[in-house]
Amino acid sequence: MSREAYQIPTSQGNAPGAGTTLSRTFDLEGATMNYICGDCGFKFALRRSDTIRCKECGCRILYKERTKRMVQFEAR
Amino acid sequence: MARKSTSTSWDHQYNTLRREDLFRNPPTDHTAYPLLQQAVNPHIESFDAVFTDGGLLTKGLADIGTRVFLDGDDRTPLESRNKLSIRYKSIQLQKSLLPPANKFATKREVLPAECRERHVSYRGKLSATFEYRINDGDPKEFTREIGLLPIMIKSSHCHLRGNSPAQLVARKEESEELGGYFIINGIEKIIRLLLLNRRNFPLAIYRPSFTNRGPAYTPFGIILRSVRPDETSQTNVLHYLNDGNVTFRFSWRKNEYLVPVMMVLKALVETNDREIFEGLVGSPDSKGIQNTFLTDRVELLLRTYKSYGVYTMAQTRAYLGEKFRPVLGVPDTLSNYEVGTEFLRRVVLVHLGNINVTEEQDSDKFRLLLLMIRKLYALVAGDCAVDNPDAVQNQEILLGGFLYGQIIKERLDELISSGLRLGFREYFRRAPSHTFTSDEFRKDFPIKIFQKTNEQVGNALEYFLSTGNLSSPSGLDLQQVSGFTVVAEKLNFLRFISHFRMVHRGSFFAQLKTTTVRKLLPESWGFLCPVHTPDGSPCGLLNHLAHKCKIMTGSVDATTIPQLAAELGVVDTSSAATDESVVVMLNGRILGWCKPSESRRIADTFRYWKVEGSHGIPLELEIGHVPASNGGSYPGIYMSAEPARMVRPTKYLPLEKEDFVGTLEQPYMTIACTEQEVVSGESTHVEFDPTNILSILANMTPFSDFNQSPRNMYQCQMGKQTMGTPATALAHRTDNKMYRLQTGQTPVVRSPLHNAYGFDNFPNGTNAVVAVISYTGYDMDDAMILNKSAHERGFGHGTIYKTKKYTLKEESRSKSTKNIEKLFGFAPGSTVKAWTQTMLDEDGLPPVGRAVQEGDIIFAYHTVSADYSGHLVNRDGVTKYEKYKDSEQAFIEEVRIIGSELGNEPAQTISIKFRVPRSPIIGDKFSSRHGQKGVCSQKWPAIDMPFSESGIQPDIIINPHAFPSRMTIGMFVESLAGKAGALHGLAQDSTPFRFDEENPAADYFGHQLMKAGYNYHGNEPMYSGITGQELAADIYIGVVYYQRLRHMVNDKYQVRTTGPVVATTGQPIKGRKRGGGIRVGEMERDALLAHGTAFLLQDRLLNCSDYTPTWVCRKCGSFLSVQPTVTPFGGKKKVVNTVRCRNCARRLDKISDAEVSKLKGEIWEDGQGNQWVGGEATTKVAVPGALKYLDVELAAMGVKLKYRVDSKDAIRKGRLIQKTPEGVGLNNRRLPALAAA
Repeated sequence: MSREAYQIPTSQGNAPGAGTTLSRTFDLEGATMNYICGDCGFKFALRRSDTIRCKECGCRILYKERTKRMVQFEAR
Repeated sequence: MARKSTSTSWDHQYNTLRREDLFRNPPTDHTAYPLLQQAVNPHIESFDAVFTDGGLLTKGLADIGTRVFLDGDDRTPLESRNKLSIRYKSIQLQKSLLPPANKFATKREVLPAECRERHVSYRGKLSATFEYRINDGDPKEFTREIGLLPIMIKSSHCHLRGNSPAQLVARKEESEELGGYFIINGIEKIIRLLLLNRRNFPLAIYRPSFTNRGPAYTPFGIILRSVRPDETSQTNVLHYLNDGNVTFRFSWRKNEYLVPVMMVLKALVETNDREIFEGLVGSPDSKGIQNTFLTDRVELLLRTYKSYGVYTMAQTRAYLGEKFRPVLGVPDTLSNYEVGTEFLRRVVLVHLGNINVTEEQDSDKFRLLLLMIRKLYALVAGDCAVDNPDAVQNQEILLGGFLYGQIIKERLDELISSGLRLGFREYFRRAPSHTFTSDEFRKDFPIKIFQKTNEQVGNALEYFLSTGNLSSPSGLDLQQVSGFTVVAEKLNFLRFISHFRMVHRGSFFAQLKTTTVRKLLPESWGFLCPVHTPDGSPCGLLNHLAHKCKIMTGSVDATTIPQLAAELGVVDTSSAATDESVVVMLNGRILGWCKPSESRRIADTFRYWKVEGSHGIPLELEIGHVPASNGGSYPGIYMSAEPARMVRPTKYLPLEKEDFVGTLEQPYMTIACTEQEVVSGESTHVEFDPTNILSILANMTPFSDFNQSPRNMYQCQMGKQTMGTPATALAHRTDNKMYRLQTGQTPVVRSPLHNAYGFDNFPNGTNAVVAVISYTGYDMDDAMILNKSAHERGFGHGTIYKTKKYTLKEESRSKSTKNIEKLFGFAPGSTVKAWTQTMLDEDGLPPVGRAVQEGDIIFAYHTVSADYSGHLVNRDGVTKYEKYKDSEQAFIEEVRIIGSELGNEPAQTISIKFRVPRSPIIGDKFSSRHGQKGVCSQKWPAIDMPFSESGIQPDIIINPHAFPSRMTIGMFVESLAGKAGALHGLAQDSTPFRFDEENPAADYFGHQLMKAGYNYHGNEPMYSGITGQELAADIYIGVVYYQRLRHMVNDKYQVRTTGPVVATTGQPIKGRKRGGGIRVGEMERDALLAHGTAFLLQDRLLNCSDYTPTWVCRKCGSFLSVQPTVTPFGGKKKVVNTVRCRNCARRLDKISDAEVSKLKGEIWEDGQGNQWVGGEATTKVAVPGALKYLDVELAAMGVKLKYRVDSKDAIRKGRLIQKTPEGVGLNNRRLPALAAA
């Protein structure tokens, strides 16, 4: 699936709040999230306590990628 | 196929395709806008000059020289002590690289873009190589790292040096990255250019404050700012005393010293009184000898010096050495004579000889000192005029790089002298048995002793750049200690580029009450822009360089000059009479003397050769020929080939070639403004273009010659406050606040310089159809009506980007090798509300693209500590949140996770960029390019806007009253030109000084309009949008480039009725940020009073301020004695029912004949259970809270205030009745009662 495509929010996907429970607890290591390297553009997953550097080039700046959640605003 | 070399010539046309191509395919050879780089180059070149081989730093190290230390006790004789001499061999600066401890990164260099994004400083490793010898043994070397030094972008030590635009873009920079600034903690800082006195030139000064030096001192003096080869300076001053004597003053390590000038003269060379006399007056057969004013004083000078009883050079030097030994900090091994020599080397006219001074150099110093004395006497006699130190003629520029080099030099000096001395003292205190020759010392030497000293030269420089404060023991011969650096704000590109062309007079002059320093002087012509200076407090002190003005950053080769001068008839003998001989100087060194009649010929010959490029005379040499005159400036030929001068190109008429003219020579030259103004036989030069006198920004004002001059000044200010395009590499910038115009356009009306400087890459406004009508009344008083449909199509739509750095680490200046105590994300095992989950991603950071309101959560974090195996675990299970505090809605634009430099830490710092949309709303500020600013008052529906016969509606309506008093005819012409340009699809050249009386601009553009079928004058019949009727008058309508200014109501509005108050007074607090009020001050109060608006006045001053209902006792008239009664049955209710006066009441148990039934009034109880009776005359009044506060304050001083609530409570007039009222205590009897009305 291409990165750009919109993903329908599912209850177990990365769209919290869409599920049934109103609150949730987090596991020990934390969830993995994808980040983009600031230098080479490599996309990779990191855990919470992982060191911050690109796995490919060792770059020290990582960007969060744009959310795949539905983003909807009132256009005024 | 090789691409064609990128063209760098530009006209005023749109060049749409060419620009498009440049933007899509950044050139791989060189930039298309070389002018832009030239504007910044003085900064970069001056930085480079410090670190090149044989650069300023190398020269500085030579000046620092060798330091000698002795071991053992101070009391032991010198011969028995060992000597350690140490000196700097070299200083090396590395490029910005990752520390070797980082094993992960493949690319080792740290680029400026990374420093911006990580909010750190761009710096490289600085190391020093020392060479030392012990007791004249073999020299040994060692190298030490002395910190990380901030590096200037695009300097020779920057990775971006020489990069093509394509490479720059690949490195996340602008395609036209200019450099010239430093990156300190992610912020771009530049060192301001400062105006200083011209170097190596004796300035004749009349300064009344000179008399404060002591008795007999007069306001006359000669100042000579002498500059060493390493660009550090030492100012020497000669003072004239009442009796005709002259003292030599200098300042050393912030202390001032005075020496008789004769002593300096005698110390410099082996001389006698006759030689000095003839050196000052002239040979016995010269005219100077007839000047009895001079001869009298020189005689006195020589006679009074006899009292010192030192005659020979050796004696004088030894005398000086003895006196200045403690001041100079020289080693004990030197003899007094040597110290005296050292004094002359370091202090006296240092530009003529500073290192290994030869006898010839000392003789140069001697001769220059004689000239200075001669000029001083001429000044006192009135034979020569004072020089104006505020004129650019007698000034030069302190370049950022040079200042930087001076600070580094001084830090290095500190390190090797006092730093090392402390190190040795500490070492020998611990190990007194060691000597320099012992084996233990040999082992310990560099490492152990340097441990104690502060080697952080890099940190000191970083501190300097980030604060702009100079912490220096010598003061660097400057008049200020702070304000050296400024942030290079990228508000828009015009502002950014202006920072590099900015020249400040010095913050010392900002406090000066007199305005003479701020005056615009004719000497500034062509060097400082007459238009581009802010109004208000920095007016005239903060100037900008004219766009063609160049600052010399290095010396030019003038070695052939002395020989040529001699060949042209310059001789060694002179006379004090300036009509007999005038001086010929080069770089502050006297080459010789010539007849005044010959001086013109010599100067003209040199100039011809210089422009011609023959005889080895460089083009940038300044040949200041001051002709002999009757009481004018001291005549002579003053040549200069040194750096820090301002020069500008003009055309030399005899050769029709470019010549560079300096500030000193310009006032004595005849430079025609235009070709027509050339006077045959008189003019030597002609300007290339009259617009050369304007700064970059002032050149962007179209038709500025049609405007009243202050309007052009306003435009220069507003151009810098415009919401424009700050940069094109927006995604890689992390400025705290950045303004951006979404719909920027290239102006229809612009000058060719607009293209040459590449301002189309950074559009700064929008072309708008502007009608000048008084249409609805909503355009009164500089308001303007915006077409609602224009607004909806995106006219002036802007965005603010705010970047905030959030760190979980404790930020501290000291070593930050702290453990990790917090992590981003939700604490494991903690419950997280679904509502927070919608706001944050799983990693506890906000999703990119989310909208945030005030009070929303932007990230989550929790505490951690290391367990036995070093894993970080959370123990409390509590998740904490950071909130978004701004009141405006914003969107998360970027989230950066910033790793440590070593790449070994989990996320500790993030940087979030917020995007705040700001579409134009009522109250936002706009301006044309003619200082015509206005506030949007309405967004008028398009259907109700007036329309022309061709169906055109204005985007903006402004009021005709904006013009008569402001006289911005340039705006009319722009409107006309813009309209014609838009109709024909042309860009219009708006360079000033292109039209004249015979060929008026209105005619030129009028005909263009006529050709397009429009009215010649730019007027058109228009129809009311509401009724459809034709308007009675034809309306002036055209196309004007409008700027949206950054001042927006959303950042300014301040409203409150109630809100936070000051605790003591109850009045509203100050400050918009905290929800405070706007003060209704004295003058506002007066206005309300005058209008008789009592109700409004009370509302403002009392009801909306510190309105306080208060209980007061009518009987004793006090606020302070009343108290609520406490019923024993009331429970915990806090309702005040009854209030009684404790002062007027009587305590029940204190009444001796307490018979309850006989007492008048109700019995009440206080909080302690005491029963009281009486004190019932209380009532509630409304007073200002401040009044109660005043009452309390006065009571604390023992002053009682008594309030008369009603006229019935008034104290009876007449004789005071001696009867004390019932219940009034002791207090009242002693103090005089004050009746407050």
